[in-house]
Amino acid sequence: MKRFAVVALLLGLLALPSMAMAKADLVIATDAPPKSMNPQAYSSDANYSYMSNFFDGLLQRKSPDGKLTPALATEWKRLDPLTWEFKLRKGVKFHNGNDFNAEDVKFTFERMKDPKYSRFLNFGNSIAGIETPDPYTVIFKTVKPVPWFAETMHQNFIVDKESSLKRDDGDYNTRPIGTGAYVFDEWVKGSYVKMHANPDYWEGAPKYKTVEIRPITEDATRFAALAGRQADIVNGVPLTLADRIAKMPNVDVIARPARRCIYLTVSNKPGTPFADKRVRQALAYAINEDEIIDKVMHGMATKAAQIPDVATKGYDAGIKRLEYNPEKAKQLLAEAGYADGFEISVVGPNDRYINDEKICEAVAKYFAKVGLKVSLDVKPKSIFFDETAEFKHPFYLVGWFDGSFDFGRSAEKLLHTWNKEKGMGAYNGAVYSNPAIDDLIIKSSSIIDPAERNKALQQINRMAMEDVAWIPLHYQQDLYAVVKGKNIKFSPRSDRWIVVKEIQ
Amino acid sequence: MGPRERPQFTTMASYILRRVLQGLLVLLAVSFVCFCLFRYTGDPVLMLAGKYATQEEREMVRHAYGLDQPTHIQYIKFLGGALKGEFGKSYVSQVDALDTILERFPATFELALVAILISFAVGVGMGIVVSIWPKGCVSRILMSGSLLGISIPTFLTGILLVMLCSVYLEILPAFGRGDTVQLGPWRTGLLTLDGLKHIILPALTLSSYQLAVMMRLTRAGMREVMGEEYIKTAWAKGLSPAKVILKHALRNVLIPVVTIAGLSFGELIAFSIVTETIFQWPGMGNLLLTSIFETDQPIIVTYIMLTSCIILFINILVDLLYAVLNPKIRYN
Repeated sequence: MKRFAVVALLLGLLALPSMAMAKADLVIATDAPPKSMNPQAYSSDANYSYMSNFFDGLLQRKSPDGKLTPALATEWKRLDPLTWEFKLRKGVKFHNGNDFNAEDVKFTFERMKDPKYSRFLNFGNSIAGIETPDPYTVIFKTVKPVPWFAETMHQNFIVDKESSLKRDDGDYNTRPIGTGAYVFDEWVKGSYVKMHANPDYWEGAPKYKTVEIRPITEDATRFAALAGRQADIVNGVPLTLADRIAKMPNVDVIARPARRCIYLTVSNKPGTPFADKRVRQALAYAINEDEIIDKVMHGMATKAAQIPDVATKGYDAGIKRLEYNPEKAKQLLAEAGYADGFEISVVGPNDRYINDEKICEAVAKYFAKVGLKVSLDVKPKSIFFDETAEFKHPFYLVGWFDGSFDFGRSAEKLLHTWNKEKGMGAYNGAVYSNPAIDDLIIKSSSIIDPAERNKALQQINRMAMEDVAWIPLHYQQDLYAVVKGKNIKFSPRSDRWIVVKEIQ
Repeated sequence: MGPRERPQFTTMASYILRRVLQGLLVLLAVSFVCFCLFRYTGDPVLMLAGKYATQEEREMVRHAYGLDQPTHIQYIKFLGGALKGEFGKSYVSQVDALDTILERFPATFELALVAILISFAVGVGMGIVVSIWPKGCVSRILMSGSLLGISIPTFLTGILLVMLCSVYLEILPAFGRGDTVQLGPWRTGLLTLDGLKHIILPALTLSSYQLAVMMRLTRAGMREVMGEEYIKTAWAKGLSPAKVILKHALRNVLIPVVTIAGLSFGELIAFSIVTETIFQWPGMGNLLLTSIFETDQPIIVTYIMLTSCIILFINILVDLLYAVLNPKIRYN
């Protein structure tokens, strides 16, 4: 009898929670976990993706074209090179019931200067002052002209001033309170993030009432989740599995040209072989990009002739690639006095971009074919990026897309000569330097007229490509898998964010 | 307790004290090695300051986190904090490092527990079968199977199980912990049907090696014991085979098996990293791997310190259990 009671009790325990928990309306398996629920704590597309559901920026970008549209601000204007004015939306409430107004905006941007809460120190410190003439107007003054100031407002998420000041750090970093389309329910680290629709959302309540995002970092396991119908949408489908997944009867595979360009960055430091423009051209001619796309990328990439993508200000359709021509490469090397080649190390990460290690291997082989003495040096991103930040390598593979859709910002970080005081060229790890380009970059940042500025940016872009500051390879493609039969309308964004309110 | 047993008790107490002191020294050494290693694993400031930070901003962050101080000062500060149970905050999430790890502890503990139970129960069971019918067809299969268990790496076992059970048969889930219940500070997955379903594959994967070891250990022990005089006596007395094997023989065989099980339990907790990664198990191993990729030093150091503590504790415990199981062993 006693034994029976114990069994009954155990069965009861088993039954209770499984009855209480219902499956979410929509389950999304992603390839990266959230790092923090503090929207200013981590600047990766993966973290922004989570944040975009709980928070709103002053502006937003909608799929598929990524055009800047109003969000918490209804209109915005650049008053002069240093001044930006935003008019805020009225009647918006945070998830805790607090009203949203200019004080919250001021608080959010001022907190970006605090190393304790912010990984956006650079952006925070570019703001000289914030004025709030009335509760629904915010005026930003920047330290120097920042032409793309508004362009970043989709990723600067606004937090509630009152509750943020009251809560302790642990709570602030794990439980987001925003104005977004979804209200945060629970984050079990390593397992899932659960959320429910915000019924009072200013854009109208989203379609899916309960949503669960499951980070699964292992490719094979994410695939198994899809095969076992445990997820409705999966991102980061690995190239090697794409064909097999496409054959599954209940799944659609969606390929989305991504904004990220994979390219080789080259130094022109005097005293190195790279100082000679003919050598840089020869390196570009030596690479058979068609073969890389076909063999390494399984056809899932688009050839690139420049770093910015079509959607970025400063993109110039007139720029042409230096197409594969090994004979010309050899000839140029001979003209530059390197007929017998020189020693070159192909450096790159092996866990950052799609098939990054294999691309490096291919590039090394092409270089060997034109007579260079090549060594291959690929390493984990945690080491690789530290080394490039210390200007260790004159030649390496890297990827880039500009979150602000503005090539001027890219040029300041990647192309301008490294200058500690001015905060320029922080990502110019190969140490490329061209004073004429530097001049243009500085001048372009004070141009207010958008059309004129676009022309200036295109000129910078053209000059950089003519001088072979970079050797662009290809734009990646992002692959998603969506389960059929549940009538999910999902159009992926170019920035890889999964903004659930956009899924119909 | 009689007066004669007194000395035995004090030697025991001093033995424990000695072991604990030794343990503390080991921990100190471990912490020192960790700290030295991290001088060479990359600069956390680059991550802390954000992608676009200027040199100046990086210096500001370096100062704010006390990373501009000399190594030995940083180390002493770390030790001081550790004594108070403060291991610093994760660089990535800005949440207390020890809390972050302890939050993951139940998942790893339950996985290791189920794995060790599976390997113990199944391993000993199969060991008995193999030792009783050494020439049988089943035994031959089990013996060669155990070689596979020892030699196939965990990640392959895991992926094969996922392919079979989740992708083709679709009977068991491939990842995660499933539904869990919060009991005070402990989040358990063992009380829900869904949670139990989720633990089967990772636990099987994790147990495969230990299972094979325990089976072979049981077999070896059984073969030795079955030839002993007292077993022959038991048979002669006409006892049932079940009684002879389970009561008389197995008991004596189990001592080394229990020791191995105890020791490997610590290992399973500390080194379930591969299994946890394959099954996206939200345990400590998974956290450690992510933290290594992000050079999140406070988490890595705390993890290593914590697992060292667990392994030391289990070692001491096994030593003491030995004395209980086998009174002939003396500690001097």
